[in-house]
Amino acid sequence: MDWKQRIRLELSRTGTVPDEGILDELAQHARAMYDSARADGASREEAEHRVDLQIAVWAGDAPLLKRPARGHSGGIRRACPERAHLSTRVEGLTGIAYDIRYALRLFRRQASFSLLVIVIMALGIGATTTLFSVTYGVLMKPLPWPQADRLVVVKETRGGNRPRFGSFSNAAYLAWREQASTIDGLAAWSSSMATLTGVGEVERIRVATATASLFPVLGARPLLGSFFTDEDERAQPSAVVVLSERLWRQRFSADPTVVGRSIQLDGRPRTVVGVLPDHLAYPDRETLAWVPFHVRPATGNFLSMFEAIARLRPGAAPSQAVAEGSARGRDVPDTGMTTMAIFGGNGPVEISAVPLHEALTTDVRRPLVVLLAAVVLLLVTAVANIASLQLARATARRREMAIRAALGAGAARVTRQLVIESLLLGLTGGAAGVALAVLLHRVLPSMLPADFPRVTDVGLGVPVIAFSFALCVLASVAFGAAPALRARRLNLVESLSDDGAAPAGARTRTARVRLLIMAGQVAIACVLLVGASLFGRSFVELLHADRGFDPSSVLTARLQLPNFAFTAERRSELVAAVVERLRAVPSVTFVTYSNGPPLGIFGGSAFTMDARQVQASSRDVDPGYFAAMGMRILSGRDFSDEDVASGRPVFVVNRTFARQYLSDRPVGQHVRVSFREGGPEPWEIIGIVDDVLHRGVTEPGEPEIYLYRERHESRVAFAPTLIVRTSGDPASLAPTLRAIVRQQDPSVVVDSVMTMEERLMTGLARPRLYAVLLAGFAGLALVIAAVGLFGVMSYTVAQRSRELAVRSALGARRSDIVRLVLREGLTLTAVGLAAGLLLSAWLTRTIAALLYGVSEHDPLTYAAVPIVLLLAAALACIVPARRASRLDPLQVLKAQ
Amino acid sequence: MGIDALARELKRGSTEILLLSLLEEAERHGYDLARLIGERSRGAINFHVASLYPTLYRMEEKGLIEGRWVEKAGQRRRRYYRLTPEGQKTLASQRSVWESFFEGLNRVARFTNA
Repeated sequence: MDWKQRIRLELSRTGTVPDEGILDELAQHARAMYDSARADGASREEAEHRVDLQIAVWAGDAPLLKRPARGHSGGIRRACPERAHLSTRVEGLTGIAYDIRYALRLFRRQASFSLLVIVIMALGIGATTTLFSVTYGVLMKPLPWPQADRLVVVKETRGGNRPRFGSFSNAAYLAWREQASTIDGLAAWSSSMATLTGVGEVERIRVATATASLFPVLGARPLLGSFFTDEDERAQPSAVVVLSERLWRQRFSADPTVVGRSIQLDGRPRTVVGVLPDHLAYPDRETLAWVPFHVRPATGNFLSMFEAIARLRPGAAPSQAVAEGSARGRDVPDTGMTTMAIFGGNGPVEISAVPLHEALTTDVRRPLVVLLAAVVLLLVTAVANIASLQLARATARRREMAIRAALGAGAARVTRQLVIESLLLGLTGGAAGVALAVLLHRVLPSMLPADFPRVTDVGLGVPVIAFSFALCVLASVAFGAAPALRARRLNLVESLSDDGAAPAGARTRTARVRLLIMAGQVAIACVLLVGASLFGRSFVELLHADRGFDPSSVLTARLQLPNFAFTAERRSELVAAVVERLRAVPSVTFVTYSNGPPLGIFGGSAFTMDARQVQASSRDVDPGYFAAMGMRILSGRDFSDEDVASGRPVFVVNRTFARQYLSDRPVGQHVRVSFREGGPEPWEIIGIVDDVLHRGVTEPGEPEIYLYRERHESRVAFAPTLIVRTSGDPASLAPTLRAIVRQQDPSVVVDSVMTMEERLMTGLARPRLYAVLLAGFAGLALVIAAVGLFGVMSYTVAQRSRELAVRSALGARRSDIVRLVLREGLTLTAVGLAAGLLLSAWLTRTIAALLYGVSEHDPLTYAAVPIVLLLAAALACIVPARRASRLDPLQVLKAQ
Repeated sequence: MGIDALARELKRGSTEILLLSLLEEAERHGYDLARLIGERSRGAINFHVASLYPTLYRMEEKGLIEGRWVEKAGQRRRRYYRLTPEGQKTLASQRSVWESFFEGLNRVARFTNA
């Protein structure tokens, strides 16, 4: 080793090179130090390491190595104070540069430790950054529209009843709009799919039908052209369209002369009047075009339903708007049966107004906050684990620190060195974490449920990166602080003189801190496991909840039959032919179709029954439908072929209908009913089926009636859904279904082909996401806690090897030693577990509202989590325990 | 004056006598000097090695010690220092100053039973 060269190199980095004579002597000193360390029995590496430390101190003190100029006496510099100050600062800076280089060299030497820390940090920071970016984008980022705090989503109820579809009626809309003083504007809109033609490939796109007031209410300005006007709104048929920026770029290659050009939506030509910037799109960025919507007055039995949004006057509160809207609602014309059908009751109009931001995010606020809290807990346990590792390392580095201090490095220098080491490790890990977050962001859109609000606002912007940077620094300081504090307390003589092992039986302060950290990690793992278990069990409950029908082995598919190409007769023929051909497929046991979503509620109808007004949704079914769908007939019977052949007036009701409108024994009763057109006729109720929970298992059942199709012929809708039950795998039937439809008519688009179970899963996407994420966090926390426990127990065994050796020398058996170590590890786990269970009991109250079918104090969860944790702990302790039992007392005692 | 500052001043003021006394016994090189100060003071005096060599040079310039590179057969080249007559005199006078100082200090502050 050419020490002189090495010293020259190190010193030249600080900008101060002493003269050759001193360099020669320093080299001689280094050599002597090395030889002496080797003579003491140090390995080559360790000896070099000690000399390196010495050189580090020299480099830190480089200015002192300058040969003093003549005239200085007594070695005390009498420079002017400013210069002294300046030179201290320069020394400080070169010192920091040196510390960084030293830390980097240390990382290379302890590559596996550094890598472990970086991986743990990357996972923690990556997960936290990703979740924070979602939370920030969804909950905190301001909405894109100007003065968006004045935007409110308004909804209407009648006598407290919510509408079965839409949320605002034309009656209330017009009554309020004419005389409004608390709002600047009110806009109505609804969303639908339309077939785009006339510009490139034919495509189904999402279109919003909106009043001209939507754009001023939003405060939007067009990117090109203008928006449509009240006049466009009144023109029948309307002939204009506003394009989204995305559609304009995709289909018109951002042509600046697009205004005035023509496209077709559902076969109707429309002239482009303007382009709306993507960031201002409403209701969402999936909407690619806006067409005018004229709100017609409510007269007779006509009531139309849509969504509505309003802009408050400056200074007006939502509550004032609510009062005004409700007051205006008193003047709405009576729409009788239609009101009953839509609202399920007829009462005074009441308006509610919720700030847009809240309306968009209210469903996801609590889950996001819970998940963010969970991921922060995960980060805390990750950082705690690193702190624990650092503490263990600090003990091993005690001699190094003592040597540095003995060589003249003050406590401040040693602390600075340790903090710089932690910061470098932490920031490297953090950078890897942010890289991980960038990767996660690529897959985020596919991970988040399709109906998740504000997904497009989620991104890794400046606030998110700043957050994760702050988090990294905080975490680094947190895991660097423990060893640094420890270094300050270092007792030099003791550290240098003792043999590095703790006295028998005694616990060092470091060991106690590590045990405390460990118990905390177990507690956090416990809280996360309890949360994950509750969410998981809740999800399973949702999945297996009884919805009143059997979703397995059913394939559904929607046919798109746009009205510009398919007349009513053509639609009926086509669907009948497709159904017929599907019935001929061997594995198919039942085929039917529905005008609305399969089994779902799609509007309602009101009719009179025995002179009472009732409302229920009605569905036309074929005989055998109930059995095929796995629905339960509670009493009475299904339709028979005989009913159909004879055209008998019979119908089936569901349980809620029977409870709400019928007497105790309704089956066989005759009621006088007037369905839609025509006068009352006597109809026989032949059966009661159990409710089907269409809106989700948390919503109550609604009154429904079932009629057989031939008796009550209604037109086939423009987008009917085929429902096919099969004896085999429903998904494998999809190609056959597509082929049959294509052979029947190649212009028919088949979309949303999915099994009934897949359909249910899309509705459960959010609870599934929450459960999966929490399970992931809990799993990581469990692994981190187990690894931590393994580390702590291994360390304890190493520290106590003398005591354990004495015990076995005095006759303790191997099994006694294993038991001793296991007991210690499990006691530690039990302490953490107790704290974790108490904490869980307290914290789970906040998620009670998010759970279905499982209590937040679920006994199974509270029994299983301790078992899992104790098992993991036992597994983590068994290796150190066995190692302890295999210690050879003779060797251990001799070595010490 | 704080304890740290006191220790610093004491160290600074005693550097010369420490080095001179060790060189009085034998010719020594720098590493030996640093090691002996640490050992004999049982760690009580941590010598700032970075300032050792400049101090030695300064003492050489003042004529208290004399340094020379020695190359022994089979050993590396080393710089040895030895006391000059001037150094002998300085050591003697410094010793008497420290002795009377310690005696006085002990009488007042009572460090030892002596």
